[in-house]
Amino acid sequence: MKRILTTLAVALCGVMAFTGCAKKEGKVLNIFIWSAYLPDEVIAEFTHKTGIHVNYDTYDSNEALLEKLQSGVADYDLVVPSDYMVTILRNEGLVQEIDHTKITTWDNLNPKFLNKKFDPENKYSIPYFWGTTGIGFNREKFPNGVDSWGVMFDPANAGRILMLDDVRECFAVALKYMGKSLNETDPEVLRQAADLLKQQKALVKTYNSGDFHNILAAGDVDLAHGYNGQMAEVVSAEPERLGYAVPKEGGTFWMDNICIPAKARNVDNAYAFISYIMEPEVNAKIVNGVSYASANTPAKKFIDPAILEDQAIYPPDEIIDRCEFLEDVGESATLFDRLWTEIKAQ
Amino acid sequence: MSEANGHIETTPQFVGKRAAAPRGAAPFRWERKAMALHSLLVYVFLYAPILILIIFSFNEARQTARWEGFTFHWYGRLMENKLILRAMKNSLIVAGTTTVACTIIGTLAALALGRYGFKGKGSTQAMLFLPIIIPEIVLGAALVTFFGVVQMRLGIWTVIVSHIAFSISYVAIVVRARLAGFDRSLEEAAMDLGAGPIQTFFRVTLPLILPGVVAGALLVFTISIDDYVVSSFVAGVGATTLPLQIYSMIKVGVTPEVNAVSTLLLLVTVLMIIFAQRLQQQPGEGGDKR
Repeated sequence: MKRILTTLAVALCGVMAFTGCAKKEGKVLNIFIWSAYLPDEVIAEFTHKTGIHVNYDTYDSNEALLEKLQSGVADYDLVVPSDYMVTILRNEGLVQEIDHTKITTWDNLNPKFLNKKFDPENKYSIPYFWGTTGIGFNREKFPNGVDSWGVMFDPANAGRILMLDDVRECFAVALKYMGKSLNETDPEVLRQAADLLKQQKALVKTYNSGDFHNILAAGDVDLAHGYNGQMAEVVSAEPERLGYAVPKEGGTFWMDNICIPAKARNVDNAYAFISYIMEPEVNAKIVNGVSYASANTPAKKFIDPAILEDQAIYPPDEIIDRCEFLEDVGESATLFDRLWTEIKAQ
Repeated sequence: MSEANGHIETTPQFVGKRAAAPRGAAPFRWERKAMALHSLLVYVFLYAPILILIIFSFNEARQTARWEGFTFHWYGRLMENKLILRAMKNSLIVAGTTTVACTIIGTLAALALGRYGFKGKGSTQAMLFLPIIIPEIVLGAALVTFFGVVQMRLGIWTVIVSHIAFSISYVAIVVRARLAGFDRSLEEAAMDLGAGPIQTFFRVTLPLILPGVVAGALLVFTISIDDYVVSSFVAGVGATTLPLQIYSMIKVGVTPEVNAVSTLLLLVTVLMIIFAQRLQQQPGEGGDKR
């Protein structure tokens, strides 16, 4: 019996070695990216043009990506972490410095989206998509639209409000409404924000971070705090009934970025792909296909005007300027969590 | 899943016996009604969400919140979605390979444990239960660390090896249960009549324990094709399985496409479980021939 087991083990190792070898031959590029971030046709055209075969896997959270790269045995050549995760990956030494000269289309990037605090001078990351957190609303109930976080604190809207079930995002709403930075760490200001959120709780129908767009579309709430990507999905299906806006006080800004893992094996292919997807026409094809905003200026010429005009996807510049990234608040994180628990336990 | 089913199915019998036995007379009608209502509510609680998922996979609207008419459109879209098809293929490869490997190894392990006394038998048995008891997330983290240490690149093989590691126990346990009532004199008779050990195994032993082996195999297939947690840790390039694919898709929003693929996955799983339970309940063919 032992012999059978040994034979099996040897056979298994043999097959593994075989498949291991098979993968190395030929030109390949292994991409690990969010779901619905790259249209199939763009990949197919890239392969057709360069002969590089693309393996394409998807993840569901930044943390899943971190775990894969930390294992040290994941063969990915190109990944797309969000802003705060870029900082973590950089500090952990899991991504490599990017040689800007190897990206032929670097100049197409809008400088507005470069040199952010999470990765100064873009040494490790290249902006891919960006977006905002704002308010999705029912046009039938708000024919004039919404332009301020004030509606979320208005007793007239009691029972018709949905808030994200997320400590930093909710505090961002209160802090922005108070005219403060959403990365505020002054305990006194944070307490005031918490008081505001405690009063608001009576008006809130539900706190939800996963399905907020569908709850709005179903008509269970008329005002929903949420990320623009999902909002755009329901709004574009029924533009005459639903809308999305970033309030004039500004909101949260997020950005997903292309990085090359430190242990990438096909670095040249990664550069070739990055240069390719930053070509204006290709980039526009990606934006038209998945409806997220890119940081590519010349691509705008080729992007569907309906997408460019959609505030849920491309909010106007003056509003973007009032949005901020969620940054690491250091030790204040404990205070945020404690106040949030007080609010939720109330 | 199978445990939960088993438990629920025994409930009505239990109720029936208890209600009839002590009083001797006909049971109160309201008691039965209350019990029927209770069972009904349990079933509704467990299966209504799944039923809604299935119904909405035929929904014409892109949004999941409202019903707008019946369509097979999403199943068509599914068949055109390369990522889902690839994930489906991966899942079938992983579940198929895992099932074959686990069935062989698990059956052999069960035979060894059921038949022979050897040094370290107790600890081997305990180790066999371990993968069932350990939280999956711990197992996943441990496996990925192990692959890192031995420098095994993450890919479809790491998924298969991991699935085999935690699935062997299921086959071993099911087959051992089958072996418990095994009449060894049959094997002895075969040997007396001149069959060698290998011939005896394939002509006598295996046919007798086959229902257990097949039930174990189906159970493993179900567990493997469903697995999310361990797979999410150990999957590598080109090894996205169906549950991983579905999970990354719902992050962007639940479309009827996700409902459709979930429905298909559910269908396969349920059929497997029903089949496995049938096999476990039937007395083995060999036993009847006696």
